[in-house]
Amino acid sequence: MNPFKFITALLSVTAFTIVTSCNKPVNYSEGLFPLVPANVDSNAGAWKPVVVTSYTKYVATVPAPADTSTAAYKTELATVKNLQSVLSSSQQSAIAYWSDGGVLRWNQIFRELVARFNLPPAPLANGTYIFPDVNNPFGYPQFPFANPPYAARAYSYVSAAMYDALKAAWYYKYQYKRPSPYLVDKNVKSWMPKVNIPSYPSEEAVMSGAAQTILQALFPAAVEEIVTKAGEQRSVALLSGKAALSDISVGLALGKAVAQDYLTRAGADGMGSSVGTQPQWQALVDTAKLHWAKLPTPVMASDVVTWTSLDAPARPPMLPFFGTKTSPGLGVKGWMMANSDFINERPVPPPVATSDLMKAQLAEVKYYSKNLTRDREAIVLKWADGVNTVTPPGHWNQIAEGYVRDAHFSEVRAARAFALLNMVMHDAAIGCWECKYYYYNPRPTQLDASVKTGTGIPNFPSYASGHSTFSGAAATVLSYLFPTGATYFNAQAQEATLSRLYGGIHYRIDCEVGLVHGQRIGAYTVNFAKTDGAN
Amino acid sequence: MDKKLHVVWFALLLDYGATAQTPVITDGIMMDRKNLCTGLFYGADSWKNYWEGTLKRDNQNIGTVTTQNVTWMGVYGLNKKVSLIALLPYVWTKASGGTLHGVQGLQDITLAVKYHFLEKEWNQNRLNFFALGAYSMPASNYTPDFLPLSIGMGCKNFSGRFTSTYSLKKVWNFTASGAYTWRSNIYLDRSSYYTNGQLYYSNEVQMFDLFDFIMRAGYYQPNWHAELFYVQQNTLGGSDIRRQDMPFASNQMNYSKVGASLLWKVPFVASLTARAWGSYTVAGRNVGQSTTVMAGLMYNIPFTKTEQ
Repeated sequence: MNPFKFITALLSVTAFTIVTSCNKPVNYSEGLFPLVPANVDSNAGAWKPVVVTSYTKYVATVPAPADTSTAAYKTELATVKNLQSVLSSSQQSAIAYWSDGGVLRWNQIFRELVARFNLPPAPLANGTYIFPDVNNPFGYPQFPFANPPYAARAYSYVSAAMYDALKAAWYYKYQYKRPSPYLVDKNVKSWMPKVNIPSYPSEEAVMSGAAQTILQALFPAAVEEIVTKAGEQRSVALLSGKAALSDISVGLALGKAVAQDYLTRAGADGMGSSVGTQPQWQALVDTAKLHWAKLPTPVMASDVVTWTSLDAPARPPMLPFFGTKTSPGLGVKGWMMANSDFINERPVPPPVATSDLMKAQLAEVKYYSKNLTRDREAIVLKWADGVNTVTPPGHWNQIAEGYVRDAHFSEVRAARAFALLNMVMHDAAIGCWECKYYYYNPRPTQLDASVKTGTGIPNFPSYASGHSTFSGAAATVLSYLFPTGATYFNAQAQEATLSRLYGGIHYRIDCEVGLVHGQRIGAYTVNFAKTDGAN
Repeated sequence: MDKKLHVVWFALLLDYGATAQTPVITDGIMMDRKNLCTGLFYGADSWKNYWEGTLKRDNQNIGTVTTQNVTWMGVYGLNKKVSLIALLPYVWTKASGGTLHGVQGLQDITLAVKYHFLEKEWNQNRLNFFALGAYSMPASNYTPDFLPLSIGMGCKNFSGRFTSTYSLKKVWNFTASGAYTWRSNIYLDRSSYYTNGQLYYSNEVQMFDLFDFIMRAGYYQPNWHAELFYVQQNTLGGSDIRRQDMPFASNQMNYSKVGASLLWKVPFVASLTARAWGSYTVAGRNVGQSTTVMAGLMYNIPFTKTEQ
């Protein structure tokens, strides 16, 4: 072989190897590992409930179990042994999957649901839009459009319901103290980590019942896979020798009963009127001008520039009444904040659009718009969290996930972490939306069309930044839960905040005010956490 | 739609390393030994309609997307049977509607070896066979996560291509060429993404391989060539753009295009050749319905006198 041919062949093989060796299917499941809790949290039945009035109210659902010496229970043991003798590889995979922690797995599952349903309706040929319809979830547009406020509320309901349900489960577990089948009968194998937590009611079944009940109400079009996942979690509890049939059936009933209390709350929390109607949208603009006129230094209506949609064709405002606190009967209910708290915490107004101060703000946005370096672009894209993503609240769940995993929290303590995180982001969504539609301030590109953006412009008013409010709130709560991570959380929040300025879709004042607003909202949830009995 | 960009681009020009429409990649022309042919091309590709999956639509939030490029091209004859090819485009994108800003930068550098391995001649007929291996990789740190305005896909590519040409009386020329392109995974700036019906908790994205083929029919005169061509490229995997979603780098981007190309030896300036080609997308999936034109000059520099 002549030298040229040899070199050519060598280069070809090398290039081929470089390309093909890195073309591999991507593992889509974030790295978790089998959960062995550092502490079983046997007193969690005494932790403060969020929504349910007391754990004892479910006693009819969770009656005293049969003793493990009874014939009925021995029949249940025989069932477990029979099933274990023919364990399939898919069943073993399911056991491995759920062994990493039910709370962590459900958190991943509902983030995926949010990403899937986070698509706005397409415009009709005549330039109008149809709203997703809860009564027609399988039609188009799909229901829901899981935008950030919708997602924040959804995350909070499923997380808080699982949290209350697990605390109720812990209450009964340590009241009845029934051991797992593998502890009763040495012929029952334990295929999950041995956690030494009483098995009646089964925490897997409780989680499955609570998660399934809430998720199928929030994402009705995904009911089939939600129910399948929930069923898989229950079968894992049985097959692994961790729970007997009666542990599971009662756990499922308890999870559903607690979740039902949450659905009752959800049905009356104001979400149903958060979209509004065309006349209400116009009234909202007029009301915003009145808010400016009533400031200590009144701003004339003629100086106020109100936000308009920059989508083409123009799209109705996103959930304009989600945060309303000044019109009776409108606005979504918070978790840790009363309506008056939201009003008290509302940021002071931004400089009016026509002022020199605002012109300076706009000039800065324009600078970043024209000078998007690759480093800043990476930050913009990292935090874009727009359509087809988990949204900013989902992003913070992903950040929290590694900390919850590495802390080796029991299921109930993991549920607490995600419940606190998601409740504070729901409150942040309300506070932020209240502020946005109270002032109705325009986006930079509306004031100067030459401001091009590095990410899509969200379809709601500018002041203050949703990313910043979510991130300030999330970082505050996570810093309380994981003090060693505080520096990191706050740096991430700061980065998320600036990403919106770099992307050209927010003024600096939107970002800075939103971050502080979020931190103040975070303090309410931290105050709850300090006295919830879990410390 | 992104594809479109890319289509144009890539397809036309570079094609993600497949370079299916770049005549120098898919034709049967070889350089003389120790001759370097080099030049610059300008190209423009634009589309207003695109296929969202299989649904053809427009989108006022992007309007018409235009991708332009200036590409340096070099071909060197190592010997009579082997030519080395290099391409390096500078690309800039722009959307006429909406608020997203355009992007510009060096796209992917392509290095290829063309090997003329078989020649058969009888009466007035000639049959030639060529093998080509091409490697390409991003020449700058651009993001593939800003489609349809990203300037490229961000992956490394390796293509294996076979081309055969048949000529009758040296006037009528027919070319068939096909390539398989292996693509590397890419990395995004974000930590999760949703595609293929699931959420991936990773910044790494699997890019599916490509297959393309092209057919050309040409009329050759000593000083000019004219050809019509049909090119098709399929992505061997990937998902559709969902309704009202943004395009994503690993979407299944397929297209069929028809086009024409011209080669003209400039009179009075020996060694200068002009080339131009254009194409129109007749069918596609997750790509823009683009119209592409490209033209440039190639200058021949001999490094040896004996073999001219």
